[in-house]
Amino acid sequence: MMDRPYKDLLKLRRFPHTWCPGCGIGSVLKNVVMGMKELGWDHNNTVAVSGIGCSGRMSGYMNLDAVHTPHGRALTAAEAIKTVRPDLKVVVLSGDGDLGSIGGNHLLHTSRRNPDITVFCNDNEIYGLTGGQAGPTTPQGTKTITSPQGEPYLPLRLGRILTQQAPYFYARTTVYHLNHLRTCIREALLWKGFSFVDIISDCIELNGRRLGFRTAHEMLKWFDERFHIVEGVRDRLQEDELGIAKSETEKVPTPKEEVKVKAEVLEEQLKPFTLDELQTFDGTGGKAIYVAYKGRAYDLSQSPLFQDEKRMRCHIAGKDLTRDMDVAPHGEDLIFKFPLVGKIEGQGQGLG
Amino acid sequence: MKQLISGNEAIFAGALRAGATYFAGYPISPTSEILQKAAAHSEKNPTFKFLQAEDEIAAAIATISASLAGAKAFTGTSGPGFTLMQEALGWGHVVEAPCVFVNSMRVGPSTGMPTQPAQSDLLQIKAGSAGDYYPIAFYPYSVEECFRLTVTAFNAAEESLSPVILLADAFLSHLYEVADLEKIELATIPRSQEPLGKGQRLFTGTAHDKMGNVKTSDPVIYREWLRELKDRHSRVAEKYPLYEYLPCKGSPILLIAFGMTSRIISVLKERFSIFRPIRIYPVLQNELREITPSYQQIMVIEGSDGQYASWVEWAIGRKVMKVSCLGGGFKLNWIRSQIEDQLKGQGR
Repeated sequence: MMDRPYKDLLKLRRFPHTWCPGCGIGSVLKNVVMGMKELGWDHNNTVAVSGIGCSGRMSGYMNLDAVHTPHGRALTAAEAIKTVRPDLKVVVLSGDGDLGSIGGNHLLHTSRRNPDITVFCNDNEIYGLTGGQAGPTTPQGTKTITSPQGEPYLPLRLGRILTQQAPYFYARTTVYHLNHLRTCIREALLWKGFSFVDIISDCIELNGRRLGFRTAHEMLKWFDERFHIVEGVRDRLQEDELGIAKSETEKVPTPKEEVKVKAEVLEEQLKPFTLDELQTFDGTGGKAIYVAYKGRAYDLSQSPLFQDEKRMRCHIAGKDLTRDMDVAPHGEDLIFKFPLVGKIEGQGQGLG
Repeated sequence: MKQLISGNEAIFAGALRAGATYFAGYPISPTSEILQKAAAHSEKNPTFKFLQAEDEIAAAIATISASLAGAKAFTGTSGPGFTLMQEALGWGHVVEAPCVFVNSMRVGPSTGMPTQPAQSDLLQIKAGSAGDYYPIAFYPYSVEECFRLTVTAFNAAEESLSPVILLADAFLSHLYEVADLEKIELATIPRSQEPLGKGQRLFTGTAHDKMGNVKTSDPVIYREWLRELKDRHSRVAEKYPLYEYLPCKGSPILLIAFGMTSRIISVLKERFSIFRPIRIYPVLQNELREITPSYQQIMVIEGSDGQYASWVEWAIGRKVMKVSCLGGGFKLNWIRSQIEDQLKGQGR
């Protein structure tokens, strides 16, 4: 007989539980109480809080003081309990619909206020207890009883929301990757501050069968196909990654200033042109197109505006265009883009 | 020490006197001053916890949860916020969490007239949340009474193991009066429940038996549970049959008013008898039945379209006349002319 000390933490007198055969919630509950038992969390120092739904029933099976809140309010309740009783450890066990949809506002704000609570989200991507309606995390295209043509919207990315503001602890794992699940639970319980474990779980009866899975096991194998474990600590997780994303302090990206170094061209190095000489560079016969602007000569051969007809409206190749700028619909930066090729004799820079 | 103090401030002072250590709220006219007082107080006193929540839903849930965790907790809001708190109010009755909800009424429905007083959330006390429950509500009419009744509300909450509602109105919340609160001696009842953290209990809003086991399809257990809840609340309510009765000799007419309206019509006490219910809910049925038979006419003057009047009619089984001060129109002259019109049979 194996020693199963975590059983102390379960109200076995209330078993058999309410969940369907094959449901992932049992794995979540068992592994959470195993993690708690290892760390010595029990009815003397811990309170469990749940919301509504199949997963909301988890706290009621735990052998400690448990609070079963109205739909969506588990996080607020947990935060208030932790505020009044900082000596108690507070764990929240609830589902994706409860935490992400009806409790979405509380998820944003409780995570922002960062109380020291640990949240385990049984993320089965469906409203199971009410019969299989589309939930906030239901993948796009999934057929449910409220999306018979396929869920039209993209799912709520809990991972992205919860890793926006440090400090944060967000772990994604599944009920299939058991060792990984245990690691995530333990790390989350030990995290000081708001920690959230997004446990991808299966609802075979009210979601899986409609998706074409015959058994819960087939559905678990599907998790193995959809997700892969990434090692080490990350800042963010991709949607197909299982792992832990955490950060204690806000990493503010310092904007890199692009230093614009304009090559200094010495006056002496510039080739001198007279305005008459410049006129020969009008683009005819394969020659380059030069124009003068404020005492400088620029090579506009590459300008699309000087192709074919060698002119664009009033701009004539080989001419001084300084005065034209006053009536031009653009600034002089348009000219500065082109290579500087020389200076106009008898004109200093900046003369008109 | 005498001080000039507002209704909101007196409510907060009363909560502290009762031993409150937790406040959660969301800004709303006309109770934001309670929120501000709580914030300032918590900064100076680390044992007093404060939460400015993201909405009134969270504020109410936090209040009840803090109560379960062992704090004497309260929240303050006005009509629209009280509407959002209804979910938590129902939950608080089921999980037996003693706490106080302050609702300073303004003109509704919806956003209504945020700075104008009303008395139109009475039905919301009784019937705002789903199912059957038996709330207790008090309604002061002066700043000093705000202080006293806040303590009473906390006491009744501990005895009934449920959220108790303290009503006020926009007028009373912002009314400044001179009062010497320190001199007032009041008994307070300590926390009656074992706080969270040592037991193996389940506090659930789902129907359950005495062991806390969820029982969602057992009518016998449910009926027994509801009867106990009702009995307990009736017992506590009977302990606080609070009202003020000013009989006027020879007057065949009884005016019934509470909160601000009772304050305004108090100058008519030379002409009419006046009955001022302080415990608004449960309705003072025994007292009304005793007092009303000796009057030819009964007139309810209130800041709603006959909400309390309908309760009086139910309690005494007799038609009453109504003067509805709607849209914040609490003016003595107008009320007086309405009374005259009603008595001449011309009133609407």
